[in-house]
Amino acid sequence: MSADPEGAARRQWLEDFEAAARRPLDVRMKYAFIHTYKPVLDDGAFRAFETMADYRTWCERNLPSWLGYGRF
Amino acid sequence: MGAFEYRQAQEIRDAFARHGVRYLFIGKSGAILLGYPDTTQDADLFVERSPENGRALVTALKELGFPLSAEESSEIQRGKDFVQIRSGPFDLDLVFAPDGIKRFEDAWKRRVDVEGFPVCHPDDIIRSKAAANRVKDRESLPRLRAFRDYWMSRRGPEGEKE
Repeated sequence: MSADPEGAARRQWLEDFEAAARRPLDVRMKYAFIHTYKPVLDDGAFRAFETMADYRTWCERNLPSWLGYGRF
Repeated sequence: MGAFEYRQAQEIRDAFARHGVRYLFIGKSGAILLGYPDTTQDADLFVERSPENGRALVTALKELGFPLSAEESSEIQRGKDFVQIRSGPFDLDLVFAPDGIKRFEDAWKRRVDVEGFPVCHPDDIIRSKAAANRVKDRESLPRLRAFRDYWMSRRGPEGEKE
């Protein structure tokens, strides 16, 4: 186990950033955009919210909490 | 529905340019364009709210293959704060009033051009995620902030590496 887990994580991030910087944009996008079904969220074809607050409230009331759309 | 592809980002860029739509990539999709290594599902666009821009946006979206009804077109043209479209060739979120950013014009002045894609400055992406204060944002912000520092160090004070 690393004696400095936070530092180890940051070093890993830096390596990730450097590796990404070496890839052309089309390759970066190929690996970055992944379609993963999100329940409820992906079940409607179109939604429009008058305010961002309305949207955030809708997310909290309708989406499973594990999706992470709830606010602190 | 497949994943959002580079080709589709180019189609957005080209169609929006043809119709003069003022917009910026924001959120994680914007960060990815800047070089941030992570995964996401949809493209998030911060669109300037104005009647002309709304009309141009709807025209461009229809040209891209989004099957918008009259009512849906009207809601987009009005510039509701947040519009989510899952019926088109790719998943798209339109944000007219992102949390943490007061005016489109301010973000536009700070924008970064990535191969012709207009992208929010990483500080604006971070600002909007911090203001949204969602669980998933709170988890991703430390890494995103580290990326911002890395990106700034490569870019230099005058942005000569962009």
